[in-house]
Amino acid sequence: MTVPQPTPEEMAERASIDRSTRYPVMFFFTSAAAWLLAATLLGFLSSLKLRVPELWDGCEFVTYGRLFPAHMSALVYGWAMQAGIGVMLWLMARLTRNELKHGVTIIVIGHVWNAAVTLMVFSVWFGFGRGIPLLDFPRWIWPVVALSYALIVVWMVPMFRSRRDSPVYVSEMFIVGAAVWFPWIFLTANIFINKGTAPVMGAGIDAWYITNLIYFWMAPVALAVAYYIIPKIAGRPIYSYPLAHLTFWLLAFLAGWTGFSRFMGGPFPAWMPAVSGAAAIFILLAILATVTNLMLTLKGCSKLWEYSPSLRFTVFGMLMLGLYALLSAMSSTFYFGKNLQFSHFVVGMDTLAFYGFFSMTIFGAIYFIVPRITGAEWPSGARIRSHFWWSTYGIMTLVVTMLVGGVAQGGNLAVWDQEFSTSFVNSSAYVVGRAVAWALISYSNFLFLYQLALMFAGKGRKSDGPTLIHAEPGTAPSAKAAAGLS
Amino acid sequence: MADEIKNIDYEQGLPGAIDLHDSVKRENPLSQGGEGTVGLTVMVIGALILILGGGHLFSSSNGFKSSIYISENYQPEPRPSLGGDESAAEQVAWIEDWMSDGKKVYNNCIACHQASGLGIPGQFPPLVGSEWVDQGTSRLGAIMLHGINGPFKVAGQTYNQLMPAWNNLSDEKIAQVVTYIRREFGSLQEGDDGVVTTEMIKAAREQFGSHSGPYTEAELLAIPADEDLPGSRVDLETGEPLSEG
Repeated sequence: MTVPQPTPEEMAERASIDRSTRYPVMFFFTSAAAWLLAATLLGFLSSLKLRVPELWDGCEFVTYGRLFPAHMSALVYGWAMQAGIGVMLWLMARLTRNELKHGVTIIVIGHVWNAAVTLMVFSVWFGFGRGIPLLDFPRWIWPVVALSYALIVVWMVPMFRSRRDSPVYVSEMFIVGAAVWFPWIFLTANIFINKGTAPVMGAGIDAWYITNLIYFWMAPVALAVAYYIIPKIAGRPIYSYPLAHLTFWLLAFLAGWTGFSRFMGGPFPAWMPAVSGAAAIFILLAILATVTNLMLTLKGCSKLWEYSPSLRFTVFGMLMLGLYALLSAMSSTFYFGKNLQFSHFVVGMDTLAFYGFFSMTIFGAIYFIVPRITGAEWPSGARIRSHFWWSTYGIMTLVVTMLVGGVAQGGNLAVWDQEFSTSFVNSSAYVVGRAVAWALISYSNFLFLYQLALMFAGKGRKSDGPTLIHAEPGTAPSAKAAAGLS
Repeated sequence: MADEIKNIDYEQGLPGAIDLHDSVKRENPLSQGGEGTVGLTVMVIGALILILGGGHLFSSSNGFKSSIYISENYQPEPRPSLGGDESAAEQVAWIEDWMSDGKKVYNNCIACHQASGLGIPGQFPPLVGSEWVDQGTSRLGAIMLHGINGPFKVAGQTYNQLMPAWNNLSDEKIAQVVTYIRREFGSLQEGDDGVVTTEMIKAAREQFGSHSGPYTEAELLAIPADEDLPGSRVDLETGEPLSEG
């Protein structure tokens, strides 16, 4: 591996960019991680209530109908989007080689965002939810969310315009894409649902919003991370740069068509779910291109996976993206989908996307970014290892039980001459898996938040060597031996 | 050199300014480029994805017509292992379908006899309370095939109108509408389910086919009042002929 060593000027430039992003990015990361812990606890409680509904009977604040939407709102708007915004800001600064300006403004608007999420979660919790998945909050909150998002990402425009490397790197394209696409889908969904479309269409638009949030916002942000971190750590270029470009354009053309297949057989013109199903299948091309490209980039240095936390989380996230895309393509066809819709399967799929794919990739980015912007190393490699494995066990337990439970429940739903509740009773055993999974994920994220808080408080390890999951065998984890690993 | 860089203080005099930390130094540069090619396997999988996606699109989209809501490929399957009865799912009683089809054919009759079957007093005779509907089916079959020329007495009132012949309708449609009229508007005798089958109308065509022009009251009265069209009765659930006849 002959990697050109960075010149002192380049190192100085990196350091100054990192320093400029320090406070805004750390603000987003830490508040996101706090929301994540809250979201996982809510996920555990809601799953518990789903399995044991008579628990704390009569208390409206712990009913599933309030806990679950609160959990999803906290997970998506509190954790995922906030952490994603932090990653976008840092990556944009690094890729355009510009210092992040207006840090104070960004932090102030970040507080507005957090206030909006707090209102969102509490209004759902106090019974003002509207029963629209991921858009549960009272309608006056959405302009606040949209505006604060716009006022945060708008500072990337001058950065992008004054970029210093002329060819736009593919990660930059993904970030610009994500920055622009989210307002589009968020405004479209909220305006059409709130301004009085037919309620059936509202449900379809909501399904469109959820899959688009995954394919039009989470996927681009996560792919920007993967196309940045994996070549960096492997110390070699992306295996095929044109293929990475192709991924971007495929996603840009296809993502907006997905979603309606969630309500296949519903009262929509039949071509709408059919087109969505086809788009979900065609998107597999983009995912195939990405996963192949990244795996070929890492060919021959798979051992890095054992040491580098960033690489391990990112690669795992990308594999989960592949799994998600495959399952979503399958369940978008009538053959599989008609027996899976309206069941646990949908919850399993959403969680696979939000946690298994997006969150794990973002953890990879956070493990990479935070040592650079705080100037200290992660306190404990063992805790990173625990974070990874408990998260992995948790998400896999959840996904497997929800998918299998979904098949069971979907089969029961098709039995028209039995009571509806039977379909639920028959599959409720699988909900135990979901509760256990969220407990494991909660524990892993307690470790994560603890480490992040230490870094935030300046209690990171002062050392010349990176914190690795395992020390490299036979050598001390010195800076030289572990060059670029973290 | 390295030590010198490490100790650069970017905000001289300010405590807490970060130094050139090790993570910055050890970081690899981001290499541009990458011209690798993917192998045949990936190409084949990609082609397979295109074929599957295109197949799904064109087999399920129903020609992108916005008026088609039901996709033919969408039919949830109850599984017997879970307690569902597969045959039960399809089991809508035959008579329900037969009656709803008959109601559609009855749209032809609404102008005179009205949706209520009460007709228009003094102008068009009612079907409700009409002895011609309640009696045997032969007279009704004859009227359907050739029409009536008044004067004509229904439920004590005389009507002077021409009812057109409906023999351009298929046997099935005539059977459906006669069934609809009898079950919906008639007051049937004990043991009469009101059903007229395609087979019976076919027999009526043979029986009355030689007649030309609309019937008069006298000609109709020549047909016995309790005469039914020949043909076996059917099971109302399945539409299959009953073996005992």
